Amino acid sequence: MKGYTGKILFVDLSTGRITDESIPDEVYENFLSGVGLGCYVLHKRIPEGANPLGPDNVLGFVSGLLTGTGSVMTGRWMAVAKSPLTGGWGDANCGGTFSPAIKRCGYDGIFFQGISNKPVYLYVDSHKAELRDATHVWGQDAVEAENTLEEECASAGKRPKIAVIGTSGEKQSLISGICNDRGRIAARSGLGAVMGSKRLKAVVLAGNHRTKCENPELMKAISKEFTSKVKKMNIPRFLSGRLLEPAGKLLSKMKSVAVPDGIMAAGILKKWGTGFNNVMGIVNGDTPIRNWNGSVLNFTKSRYRNLGPDLLEKREVKKYSCYSCVVGCGSVCRIDDITDGNFRETHRPEYETVSAFGSLLLNGDLDSILYINELLNRAGMDSISAGHAVAFAIECFENGILTNNDTDGLELAWGDAEAIIKLVKQMINREGIGNLLADGVRVASRKIGKGSEKYALHVGGQEPGLHDSRFDPMMGVHYCADPTPGKHTIGCFQYYNYVQLWNEVSWAPKVSMYPKDKEYLASRENATKSVAISCYKQVIDGVGGCLFAMTMGVHNWNPFRMLNAATNWNKTADEYLEIGMRIQTLRQLFNVREGIDPKGNKAHPRMSGNPPLSDGPLKGKTVPIRDMVAMYWEHMGWDSETGIPTEETVAKLGLADFS
Amino acid sequence: MKVKVYAPAFCSFDHLDDDNVMELPEGATLNDVFQRLKIPLPLRLFPIYTVNYEKAYLGTRLKDGDVVSFLTPLAGG
Ligand code: SF4
Repeated sequence: MKGYTGKILFVDLSTGRITDESIPDEVYENFLSGVGLGCYVLHKRIPEGANPLGPDNVLGFVSGLLTGTGSVMTGRWMAVAKSPLTGGWGDANCGGTFSPAIKRCGYDGIFFQGISNKPVYLYVDSHKAELRDATHVWGQDAVEAENTLEEECASAGKRPKIAVIGTSGEKQSLISGICNDRGRIAARSGLGAVMGSKRLKAVVLAGNHRTKCENPELMKAISKEFTSKVKKMNIPRFLSGRLLEPAGKLLSKMKSVAVPDGIMAAGILKKWGTGFNNVMGIVNGDTPIRNWNGSVLNFTKSRYRNLGPDLLEKREVKKYSCYSCVVGCGSVCRIDDITDGNFRETHRPEYETVSAFGSLLLNGDLDSILYINELLNRAGMDSISAGHAVAFAIECFENGILTNNDTDGLELAWGDAEAIIKLVKQMINREGIGNLLADGVRVASRKIGKGSEKYALHVGGQEPGLHDSRFDPMMGVHYCADPTPGKHTIGCFQYYNYVQLWNEVSWAPKVSMYPKDKEYLASRENATKSVAISCYKQVIDGVGGCLFAMTMGVHNWNPFRMLNAATNWNKTADEYLEIGMRIQTLRQLFNVREGIDPKGNKAHPRMSGNPPLSDGPLKGKTVPIRDMVAMYWEHMGWDSETGIPTEETVAKLGLADFS
Repeated sequence: MKVKVYAPAFCSFDHLDDDNVMELPEGATLNDVFQRLKIPLPLRLFPIYTVNYEKAYLGTRLKDGDVVSFLTPLAGG
């Protein structure tokens, strides 16, 4: 087989039956692996209208097609299921070492249906797959459980790779995710709750199969070329993170946009990880402030400077990378001095987490964010959604919708780190008001009522990423138009410009310098760019690719070439983008089948600048998100009024069986 | 000769075509590129640029087909 194993493992947790299933070559040629294979399998296996937390839902762990083929930056895996948070298509992505472990067991994906009558974990190696009792680890956090199971399942000095839920998944919090590599998390879509509902604590993988690559010499050459460039990208020692603040201010004043060479940012990622944007994003308008209703004037330098990347760098004890990564944007930070002594270390918090618990809440206390980061990683709770839930609660409290009676005396206020920590603990333990917030802001606002939905920032039930759509309007399009709403990893103008798809894809509009104002128009050109980047992202999620590798530009990191080297398919970039379009359309068809009205996935008014902010870098900015979404639908070949893929599109993409 | 230049948005784009290519006389240096981009002198001293992804200096001589790139942080993480 070429690049893929051609097999999936199917586990029925109700009956304990475990079966190998073959997947025909055409499926990979049409849907790749990762998100595409996941969507293909779930469409066929989940009966229409299934309860996301019931036995009929199917939860999949799917590796990327390029994972393990000798390619670089392709070690990410996808979790897929019907989402209990949105009611529609759910997926989430994570790096670490779990993706190659799936393939080493001889499978492209492992899928679960049914509900076990007691906590179990699945153990798989090259010879067997079996369900084992997990009662002893049920109730442990994700890190403790991973340690226990790793110890228990190690054989001949070889440690297995493990995906596991923390207590939030067990308690079926709708904003819980699935962890691996000690607290890294496939966070979005509430898939931890699906795993918890099935009483599946963990998936433990210890196989040693190799993945075949059709043209290993070519793959080696492609990987070498990219690696040698990345190796040279290093930030000079004297360049401090403090310079990112004036750089951000300069960027916010730019009236025009130019095409960058994305690989130049590799040094920044190596040095600071995504934390490079902690301060830069605040001063240039990328980072939402005060539940998307404030600006840098509400969160001034005396506070935001406490979140700077240099401060995190000082705490670093080691750097790390995902499997097959040559950049390494991850690191571990020491936190033994700042918590109540429970934890020694935490993963360096990602930009999303720092922003969700920093500027979004007007919290300039970095120590509290590091502590919350570890609490959430261990519980397996999505920091993006959790931060928005806290912001929602604070704003409700400020406006008298929630009172001391509702919070058991906990006074909620912007920037009060101590109260924020207490509330997060309540959410993790599902205690008091935390019980309500643990299911995200849509559920909480529906239960609270009293006009609280005004403060509930979500799209279709999922809280948006920490990138302001008034700063990059295309981000708003994909928050609303993606079948998994609220995701910040699908497309934006910046991604489009960095990727430079026009070098490979015949119909992708070419970009040279243009006025920034053009990004705020619902134009045909912008819609075509949105289509191109979202379809490309489906390819990336089908091959296990890293978003940051993607932004290094297709002239530097080229998944089309790698796919051809791995499979010998010899497809063109246009043909691969059509596969991306097929996957994106299949995800949308899943939603339509499940009764999700695409028109209902609306941006919160604040996200489109309604009303516009009165100060800061985004002052006066409004975005016609609804019109831009309608044009995106039209250019995808979906009905521009309803967002439903047209019959012609379904036929053209060979999806008639799925509609 | 022709050189591909990934210039930051604050530069002058007068000497770049739609493909970000700059026409230069034989023997031109990186400093000649910076002059055409109207990059202020103090900024030229920051080593935030490469030629063909290698460290470069103001006096680095360019040749046809070279790629000049600048450090540009993705304004989002
Ligand atoms: S750049 Fe970061 S997220 Fe991407 S593969 Fe490397 S370590 Fe993982």
